[in-house]
Amino acid sequence: MLKGEIKKQSPKNLLLVFQILALSLLLSYQGRIADKRILTMVIGLILIIYLSNYLLTKISSGDNYIFLIVTMLISIGIIIIYRIDEGLGIKQLTWISLGIFLYFSVYFIVKKLKGLDRWLYLYIGLAYFLFMITFIFGNRKFGAINWVDFGGFAFQPGEIIKILLIFILAAYYSNIESWGKIKYSSYYMMALIYSFIMLLFLQKDLGTALVFYLIFAAIQFIYEEDRKLILYNIGLFLISASMGYLLFDHVKIRFQAWLNPWIYIERQGYQITQSLFAIAEGGFFGKGLGMGHPEFVPVVYTDFIFSAICEEMGIFTGIGIIMLFMIFVYRGFKIAISQVNRFYRILALGISILFGIQSFIILGGVLKMIPLTGLTLPFISYGGSSILSSFIALAVLQVCSEDMGEDVDEEGN
Amino acid sequence: MKKEIKRIILILTALCMTFISLIVYISYFQIFEASAVKNNSYNKRLWINEQAILRGSILDRNGKILAYSEKDGNSFERHYEYGNLYSHLIGYSYRDYGKSGLELHYNNALLNINENTAINEIKNIVMPNVEGNNLGLSIDHNLQSKARALIDGKKGSIVVMNPTTGEIYAMVSYPDFDSANLKDNWKKISEDMDSPLVNRAIQGLYAPGSTFKLITALAALGSGDNEEIYNCLGSEKVEGYIFQDYEGRAHGPIDLKAALVKSCNSYFINKSLEVGRDKISNMAENFLFNQNIPFDLPVRVSQFPHREMASDLELAAASIGQGKVLVTPLNMALVASAIANEGQIMKPILVKEIISKDGKLLKAKRPEVLSQAIDPIKAEEIKDMMVEVVQSGTGVNARIKNIKVAGKTGTAELSSGKNHAWFIGFAPADSPTVSVAVVLEEDKSTGGKSAAPIAREIMLYAIRNIKE
Amino acid sequence: MYSILALIFKYIFIIVIYLFIFSIIRLIYLDIRSMDVISFEDSAYLKLINRKDSLPYKIEEHYLIDGEIKLGRHSGNDIVIKDQYISKNHFQIVEDEGDYYLEDLDSVNGTFLNGDKLFDIVRLEDGDIIRVGKIEFLFVNRE
Repeated sequence: MLKGEIKKQSPKNLLLVFQILALSLLLSYQGRIADKRILTMVIGLILIIYLSNYLLTKISSGDNYIFLIVTMLISIGIIIIYRIDEGLGIKQLTWISLGIFLYFSVYFIVKKLKGLDRWLYLYIGLAYFLFMITFIFGNRKFGAINWVDFGGFAFQPGEIIKILLIFILAAYYSNIESWGKIKYSSYYMMALIYSFIMLLFLQKDLGTALVFYLIFAAIQFIYEEDRKLILYNIGLFLISASMGYLLFDHVKIRFQAWLNPWIYIERQGYQITQSLFAIAEGGFFGKGLGMGHPEFVPVVYTDFIFSAICEEMGIFTGIGIIMLFMIFVYRGFKIAISQVNRFYRILALGISILFGIQSFIILGGVLKMIPLTGLTLPFISYGGSSILSSFIALAVLQVCSEDMGEDVDEEGN
Repeated sequence: MKKEIKRIILILTALCMTFISLIVYISYFQIFEASAVKNNSYNKRLWINEQAILRGSILDRNGKILAYSEKDGNSFERHYEYGNLYSHLIGYSYRDYGKSGLELHYNNALLNINENTAINEIKNIVMPNVEGNNLGLSIDHNLQSKARALIDGKKGSIVVMNPTTGEIYAMVSYPDFDSANLKDNWKKISEDMDSPLVNRAIQGLYAPGSTFKLITALAALGSGDNEEIYNCLGSEKVEGYIFQDYEGRAHGPIDLKAALVKSCNSYFINKSLEVGRDKISNMAENFLFNQNIPFDLPVRVSQFPHREMASDLELAAASIGQGKVLVTPLNMALVASAIANEGQIMKPILVKEIISKDGKLLKAKRPEVLSQAIDPIKAEEIKDMMVEVVQSGTGVNARIKNIKVAGKTGTAELSSGKNHAWFIGFAPADSPTVSVAVVLEEDKSTGGKSAAPIAREIMLYAIRNIKE
Repeated sequence: MYSILALIFKYIFIIVIYLFIFSIIRLIYLDIRSMDVISFEDSAYLKLINRKDSLPYKIEEHYLIDGEIKLGRHSGNDIVIKDQYISKNHFQIVEDEGDYYLEDLDSVNGTFLNGDKLFDIVRLEDGDIIRVGKIEFLFVNRE
């Protein structure tokens, strides 16, 4: 057939094959007769993805693989979401299309803008501003106050603040020679970050707080000259973690539910046990798309999407996803190391660490390897804020993968 | 900038390690834990499968139907003919209350659900499963009813089995509950302080009292001089603590056999110190203490915590079945069975056969030897002593006319002043066909007075009515 | 009916996903190999001057000269170029005591060094341009 023409082992084309197969399978699922609208949207998405991948190789001298990996991830995600709920599937489709558009826009903007490393105060201001909005206008959803409603359009400021955090850290540490002239500047920076974490803690958004902390800890570990601070950081973390456990019930509950959800199976342990059932039922190859019961898993669109994937597509697909994230993070680090400009290097590092840590935390939580936190799996979970912010971060990473020249520091590196 | 690069690579390696650990963990989970996890009554998928399948029936050894399902409109309704009687063994299977007993542990057989292999999957699609399989139990319904009647409302458990094949003829645990009417009584049942949901025969741990002396005696038989006469003065002092014989009675000069027959505490306490902790603990473990007993339902592990018995005092208490020794009634029935069966412990069997709906025998359990607890010579020796116990000792209430009965009584003292009244035994002693363990929880009397008569009736009935 | 499809597809999906992953790994690995070679080795190499995309056949941007290197149409060479203007064995570069020598192997259309056709063995210097057919290489020797 066309096999001869399709370059063997070209990932782009494999992706295409995958998408076509999956979609055609889904369209025949339960006699869902695809109406023209849906069909065109779906074909539209496949085309967009294929074209984007192609376009990217033309316009960007940077890394080609990260976008490719991401498109595979979103394909798997969209397939499973569409299978669970047609309506949400369509919505996810729109978010992704928006995301890709945003991706190219941010890419061009960030590439053109110079001097991004000098806007530290701007980033800090924006972050606090967003925090304020959350506190004033925020609604509680699923236990954490991190959603803001703007007349039907809800988004999570936390997702944007995450990216601002990375910019803040990059702006600071790339210019540490000048910032370092202010006495105790690193302490101030640490206090600043901790204030963010505190605010998140107050919002009961423990997952994001943890991500913030770990990104900061990693960057600090790599770039902080004053090694004492790292120890302080670890110490403070341990103290506040223990205090958090002792003082706050909702932390204690998470831990109990993690250690032995079976005895709390009706309340705290309900979510994680249902997730484990789904994963266990799937076996290595899964039950088959449409043959499982993701409807039994709570919060399946966002936090537990991975469980649904494991149930219907098997542990092997799950492991495949983990491997894709691992390659993605590796690529991100490679981009960082090859990047000569320090600001962009730290940006790349921060973003890679962000994706790596966030995906690890939610995957670990869903598998009961670590306590559960309310984080989304980047690119796979349903959610506008999550998808859009992930694409924004991806765009920045793409910029970092190019030769940004300038800024050669004293050592000539 | 080499330091920076080094640190970056360090962080990268750390991240990669975490991802790899994820992969390892998920694989480990799927391979080792998944099937146990799946079989949970909170897993609604179990129920979805069920609605389409006619659940298998459960029958006793003579084909009497104890539980079955009937089509009720679109789904199936489960009927339990004798709710209370089999509440622990068969258990129940309800959407709202989950599953227990054989309904839980043989769920896959009852629904004819096979392993998740590719071949089975294809089979399931081409020829979907609509009928489950029936279970044939080793239980004799009439004996089971009789045993329950004999326990007469007292808390406790009775286990009756065939020592040469391992088949369980009856297993009663009281208090029980009506599995046919769970909906009405659930609140009361689950909050009842006497734990009617617990199958005492396999989940109850009791101090065995003097029945443990059999094990102490067997440990002694291997060492030292058992013809040696010991002068029982009615009490024995160990490390400052005084162990008394029953009612302080002094038995005078006795040997091992006489000590067992009269159930003399002092003798065994003295003997245990001579024989030593290791020999006694090894003997206990020969009789499956501290080990998992393979059975169709989960059995709690009987305990002989030898590591914690550092002192003589503890050992002394253990030798007469007090202190830290704890045992399940099933385990004691296996002790009696082993002695009856020339020292061989047979694997206990509850589910004898699995039969498909169209009558095909899918699986039949053959009698299987679990272990050789003691050699036949020792078994014979102790058997003789046990016969004497019933003939002229503490177990006279278990005597049956014209049938030689072997047994041992036990009265485990509790701190509340009450006792666990025990009797274990088998008959006919020369070629035993039935063995039994009876324990009455928190009774006011002794094993010889309350438990032995129950055992007598049971053994008599079994010998008369049950064919192998 | 659908169940059978789902059953078959689930195996296919997994195969496709893993093929995807492995093809990406393979591409990355190839990238690393060629990159590593240049950044971390201090020896000589040939750098392609033409735009890689403008050439209709498979060609690399860098070729490390590890002791010696041979170019030709025949697949036994280190640099294999499927171009009709290139002879089966076209030229070779040999290293001798730190110096690199270029020799034309009696090719039909000749080898050109800095514009001049090669008749003898010539010692290469850093920055020399070697041309065969329409392909141009820059000889780089950092030492």
